[in-house]
Amino acid sequence: MFLTRSEYDRGVNTFSPEGRLFQVEYAIEAIKLGSTAIGICTSEGVVLAVEKRITSPLMEPTTIEKIVEVDKHIGCAVSGLMADSRTMIDRARVECQNHWFVYNENITIESCAQGVSNLAIQFGDSDDDGAAMSRPFGVAILFAGIDEKGPQLYHMDPSGTFVQFDAKAIGSGSEGAQQSLQEVYHRSMTLEEATTAALTILKQVMEEKLNSSNVEVMTMTPKDMFHMFTKEQVEEVITKLS
Amino acid sequence: MSILAYNGGAMVAMKGENCVAIAADRRFGIQAQTVATNFEKVFEMGPHLFVGLPGLATDTQTVMEKLRFRKNLYELKENRRISPKVFAAMISNMLYEKRFGPFFVEPVVAGLAPDTFEPYICNMDLIGCLNEPSDFVVGGTASAQLYGMCESLWEPNLAPDDLFETISQALINAFDRDAISGWGATVYIVEKDKVTIRNLKTRMD
Amino acid sequence: MMQTGIRPYYPDYSTVPVERQINPYADNGGSVVAIAGKDFVVIGADTRLSSGFSIYTRNQNKLFPLSETTVLGCSGCWCDTLTLTRILKSRMQMYHQEHNKNMSTTAAAQMLSTMLYYKRFFPYYISNILVGLDNEGKGCVYSYDPVGHCEKATYRAGGSAGALLQPLLDNQIGQKNLQKPSQEDLTQEKALSTLKDVFISAAERDIYTGDSVLIKIITKDGTKEETFDLRRD
Repeated sequence: MFLTRSEYDRGVNTFSPEGRLFQVEYAIEAIKLGSTAIGICTSEGVVLAVEKRITSPLMEPTTIEKIVEVDKHIGCAVSGLMADSRTMIDRARVECQNHWFVYNENITIESCAQGVSNLAIQFGDSDDDGAAMSRPFGVAILFAGIDEKGPQLYHMDPSGTFVQFDAKAIGSGSEGAQQSLQEVYHRSMTLEEATTAALTILKQVMEEKLNSSNVEVMTMTPKDMFHMFTKEQVEEVITKLS
Repeated sequence: MSILAYNGGAMVAMKGENCVAIAADRRFGIQAQTVATNFEKVFEMGPHLFVGLPGLATDTQTVMEKLRFRKNLYELKENRRISPKVFAAMISNMLYEKRFGPFFVEPVVAGLAPDTFEPYICNMDLIGCLNEPSDFVVGGTASAQLYGMCESLWEPNLAPDDLFETISQALINAFDRDAISGWGATVYIVEKDKVTIRNLKTRMD
Repeated sequence: MMQTGIRPYYPDYSTVPVERQINPYADNGGSVVAIAGKDFVVIGADTRLSSGFSIYTRNQNKLFPLSETTVLGCSGCWCDTLTLTRILKSRMQMYHQEHNKNMSTTAAAQMLSTMLYYKRFFPYYISNILVGLDNEGKGCVYSYDPVGHCEKATYRAGGSAGALLQPLLDNQIGQKNLQKPSQEDLTQEKALSTLKDVFISAAERDIYTGDSVLIKIITKDGTKEETFDLRRD
């Protein structure tokens, strides 16, 4: 059967004549509609900051959870389709616990990302494992964690590609934020500087006014591991912003 | 589980230079449950003659009484002390009489010959198969452990003090690795003109 | 077939299903002893492979290097040992490829435990002792039962002469029941000579242990190998 050019974007496992997988590319585009999330990796630890879109004053902000603990030593920030992200976080948690169960050691951040990546590319035709997913996940993830190599930040997109970053922004404000990150980031940054920088940049790219209930901040340090900022701690950082 | 391991217990005897030693634990239990920690399994059968009866506790006592009876009868009839070798032969014979309904004990004999004071040790299985080695004999539920200990600790011509140290270490370390032996130990060092009996303090678990 | 008494006639062949059993396990004997020190660990295994009263070979290695710093000693059912060690070898390689690092001794210890437990109802009939250096370079010994119970220790004897040797190690290495235990750290020389001594004792009384001992000494500088003859009867 002849497929017209515009029909190549239907199947998730059909390359276009130019060698593109449109559905995957669309999924990557979908991330750019998501809320902004920023991660910065320093020698002291990693910080993650995300915006929460409060679309209605009747909404309960605390029920939006965009930074989650995956294991004691790994945290994730997500942007995109939140429902999809739940499935991926679940897999990340299973990978961590399974590694601990079998090897009695913490999984590396890279291996955790690899595990989630394996899930992310299981769209397309069904195989022996049962029915496959009909489309790619519409989620980008920032993995912040600490393993034997120290603090690390990984980014993964809907294609399952994961890359290590010093600092990375995802979501609707990512283009501007990434530019700003490149300007402020330096290797000798302290975690406190990184936290302030992350919120400063978030403030610049957010449409609403930044306050303590429409952002989430998490730090990952060798001492305290996964630490989610309380409302008071977030306010403290916000007041320090110029 | 073998009926021989119903009550638990460890036993060892060793030859030394002009002396012999015999030692046993003091536990009396019913399978895993410890009932008493002052249960003697070694019995005096003469000034230089001792017999240990590890195995089923009821048979330990019955066999001990039967042996005492036979030994007394022998000594009255013969009007002389029984030698360890003869005594061992007597036990062996008595046990074999019950070849198809045996007493569940594996006796250990240690002593000095009445005339020459020649050290003598032996053990046998529950139907009286005699074993008379030149170094040491073991018995009871910790016999595997005791073999390992004795095989490396024992050496020829040990003086009474060294023999005591050797047999004590062998027994204690062996029964510490056996769940149904231990809870104290008694050691007999038999010399020409004295018998030393010592109760050892050991871990009680 | 002879007929006796008032039994009714039965044909010579069976008309009902008869349950027959085979024993999937063999005991091929062998003993393993491991002793750990502050910055080293030694492991030795005898080289006799036997079944009942016959000896298959007097020269069978029972020590399996899993990595640069980890060695596994196996005794028991030899066919299970072969299978387990082959699977372990592939798991070590898969780990290296998946995680881009060598598996630590502690990770290997835990993995072995889970692997054994996964065959909880048809176990590998092996007495395993795993030794190696941990991440701090300290010697460590892990011993297992056939279904994966794992215990960390500083010394351990396993296999057919395990019961004979363990109390001896308690005394000589563990300094148990001694009036004045030595405060000094265990030296490599003392560990090695004790290991040889206990094997000599085991060979005296255990018919499944003998011929020779293969010893591996693991330090941060690598693994050294040594053999030592035992009685062959």
